[in-house]
Formats: sequence, C-alpha cells, structure tokens
Amino acid sequence: MQILSYGLLNGALYSLVALGLSLVFGVMNYLMVAHGGLIMLAAYTTFWAFFYTHIDPFLFILVVTPLFFIIGWILFKILFQSLMKFPEGEKIKNSLLISFGLLLIFSNLAILFWTADERAVTTVYAGKVLDVFGIRLPYTGLGGVAIAIIVIIALHLFLTRTYFGKAIRAVSLDHEAATLMGINVNKVYLVAFSIGCALAGIPGVLTSLHALNPAISFDLTNKALIVLILAGVGSIKGVLIGGFFLGAIEAAGVYLVGTPYREVFGLILFVLILMFRPQGLTGKKA
Amino acid sequence: MLEVHQVDVHYGDIQALWNVSFRVEGGEIVSLIGSNGAGKTTVLKAISGILSLTKGSVTIDGVRSDTIKAYQIVEQGVSLVPEGRRLFRDMTVIENLELGGYIERVRPQKNENLEWIFQMFPVLDQRVHQLAGTLSGGEQQMLAIARGLMSEPKLLLVDELSLGLAPLIVKHIYMTLKEINRSKKMTILIVEQNVRLALEISDRGYIIENGRITGEGKGSDLLKSDKVKTAYLAMG
Repeated sequence: MQILSYGLLNGALYSLVALGLSLVFGVMNYLMVAHGGLIMLAAYTTFWAFFYTHIDPFLFILVVTPLFFIIGWILFKILFQSLMKFPEGEKIKNSLLISFGLLLIFSNLAILFWTADERAVTTVYAGKVLDVFGIRLPYTGLGGVAIAIIVIIALHLFLTRTYFGKAIRAVSLDHEAATLMGINVNKVYLVAFSIGCALAGIPGVLTSLHALNPAISFDLTNKALIVLILAGVGSIKGVLIGGFFLGAIEAAGVYLVGTPYREVFGLILFVLILMFRPQGLTGKKA
Repeated sequence: MLEVHQVDVHYGDIQALWNVSFRVEGGEIVSLIGSNGAGKTTVLKAISGILSLTKGSVTIDGVRSDTIKAYQIVEQGVSLVPEGRRLFRDMTVIENLELGGYIERVRPQKNENLEWIFQMFPVLDQRVHQLAGTLSGGEQQMLAIARGLMSEPKLLLVDELSLGLAPLIVKHIYMTLKEINRSKKMTILIVEQNVRLALEISDRGYIIENGRITGEGKGSDLLKSDKVKTAYLAMG
C-alpha cells in the first residue's frame, strides 16, 4: 500500500510531465522531445530562485509558467515556425531532429551553469508526512497531486469552453477547414506551442523538490513519451490516467523486483502498448 | 458583388485554371457546372483564399480579396462549404456551429444565428450534443452549410453538396438554400455535378471545361441549350 501510494504520487508528476508534450503533438504533430529539457531548466530556475529568495517553491509556479510561455513563443518563432508548411510525416521527423538537438543543448547548458552535481530545493516542510491509516504521504507529493488535477481540469475547461480552446481543437482535427472558419492557424500553432512549453514550468517546479541533475531531462522526456503512448494521442483525460498508470506500474515493479529496474517497467509497458493497443489505453480505434 | 478577373491557378507546375473570369451580382444564385476535374472546386478554393492565384484578381464588393490571408477572407463575408463537408468530426454539432461563428464580428449574435439556423434545419436542433462524425450523410451536409452560415456571409460558396446523398435529401437542401437566398438576400455560388438540379434553382450558370469558362447564360436557357443537353444531361 505504501509503495502503491508513492507510485500514485509519482504518477501525478508524470501526468504533468506529459501534458505539454501531448498538447503540442496532438495539435501540430510536432514531437517535441526537448520537453524534458524544458522541465529540467524550469526545475533549475526554481532551485536558483529559491536559493536567493527562500520563498515557498510552489509559489514559483506563478512565475516560471509565464516565463516558459515566453520561451516557447521564442523557440517557435526561431525554430519551429518554418516546419508548419511541411506535410504531416515530415513535421514529425523534422521537429524530432530539431528538438532532440535542443534537448542536448539544454542538458549541456545545465551542466555548464549548475554542474552535474545533484541538487534539490529543501523546504521547511520537506520530509514532513501526512499519516493516513498508517500510509505516509509526503506533503510535497500531495501538493503535486492537487496541482496535477487542477492543471488538467483547467486545461480541459480551456479547450472545451473557450473560443480559442475550441479553435485549437479544430486546428488539430482539420487545419484547412479551420482556416475556412476564419481561424488564424499560424497564431493557434504559436499559442498552442507556447502553452505546451508553459506546461513544462509546473512539473519543473515540482521536480526541483526531488533530486535534480542535468541528466533528468532525458529521463523526463522518456516518461512523457511513455505516458503519451499510454494515453493515446490528443487525449487530455488519457494523460491523467496514463500518468497514474505508469506511476503504479513502476511502484509495483520496484516492490516486486527492486529499485534498479524501475525504468525498465515503464519501457516494457511502452513496447507492450505499442504492440497490442497502439491507440492508447483510453483512445478509440482509428 | 463577386468579380473573378482573368485568374490562373497552378498546382505546382500543373496549370489548373486558365484566364477564368466571371461575376456574381448581389442576391443571385449562380452555379458553376462542369465535369469531374474541370476545375470547379479549384475556382472555389481560389476565391476563399486556400489556393493562391498565379495571375488575375478576385474582388468582393469592390475590395481585392486575393491579396489577404485565407482566414481574413471570412471576415470579408465569404464562407465556403467545402467538398466532402470537412466537419470537425470529433466535436459536437454545437461546437461545429460555434466554430462557424468564430470571427469576432459575429460572436455577439451567436444565439440569434443559432435560432435562425435551427429553424432552417430543425434536425440539427435535436442533435446539438451529438458528435458531428456520428450524424447521417444528409445531416452532416446540413451541418456543413449551417456552419458556413454562422459567419453571416454575404457570399456563400457551396461545393458539391449532392456528393453521396440521396436525391430527395439533396433536393430538400437545395430548396433550403433557395429559401435562405430569398429571405436573407444572400448571394450563393454553387458548384455541382448534378447539372439539372443546380441550374433549376440558379438565376445564372457558367460552364467550365478543362479549367476554362466556355459558356454562360440564364439557368433556364442553359438547361435548354444543346451543349448542356448533350454533355451533361445525357439527352443528346
């Protein structure tokens, strides 16, 4: 039970990690593998800001998220806008190559600025736990679950209740038909990409509360891709379920086999889903 | 109100339209008839800005529309109901209609427009929360037209609405279009392979062959002409 609950706490983080990647891939077919790198940079930004200010790191979400929205905006203008005119398959390939380069740049920048040492934000309530029927739940982890659920509901409401959110979904379904509705597809791509990057800010802050080193960027991208496959492309609800599912599977694996094999279970799951249920856990058959 | 002047369009190296010129006056229903691959759909795509011209101009109410972006042409009052309907299949009927009324100018009138559209197409009213992809073919075509009307166009372009539909439903939809034309003074340009039906409800028609306009006339006159009879009505 204890291990499973840790798994679920991790799962909330995994959902958040995958959310931005899933949005960007779903809307514009860009496979933005640098997403893990953005999360890592957001985590270092939080670490650094906390080091100087000692303000509660959860509050940094309000600063880091807009900051990464702007970073996303700039990245799109410089690197990703030119890919828009390519056919769908080319978009995936080219965005993969560009963003993989970015991922390498990000992790090397992190080594340069913050060295490869492991760091973490240590809050006053770090290590404090809530005891529920003998199950110990750390406050930071619970905060993560609450934030994951709030963010996913907020994103869901944005995509289903606002004109611009609906425009984003329309563009992801048929961008030419969306143009005929008077929707500026360029702007939708730019904003959706920037929101995707902004969504790296939130898991970044949460990651900074755990162990932080430049190599986690690859690990985070890995997790995001597994959740994306679990969720099925373009499913926000699926991301929530997929994240928790991955967390639970990892926890079970750690319990049954041992911590060194933690990553293995996620990857086995990745392969199994692709073989037997390529539309994802919650997705419909194409 | 619509003036297409000496337009050429290319797909890559291949020329699809040659010196196409025609005009549609305000309040008219005009049909563009021709066989498969004659360039009918290309003309509509050029007017709505999805394809760019290599020569010539398109003017709407005296304002050039070929020099602005496709999404801005909707604001100018042009709405295309595309071939194959192109609905947002995984979204509901009401969401499709809301997207039809996406441009800022028409958003305040959303409820009045919906009410009017549900009067025209009552079946859509019963299906508001159903996914567009689960509607029947006829209902999907009605939704596609309704979506096109939500932007309050001055000029409605309708591409091959009869495709894959039962004749009775096609007739019903055309009668509804005629009604909209009459009550709202809306100008309508129809592209259609079902030549008889198109000419019956049209004020005028143009014939397009191999990317060139080769004939024009009043709808009733064209129906009687030998050219149309032999080539399109199989009455030679």
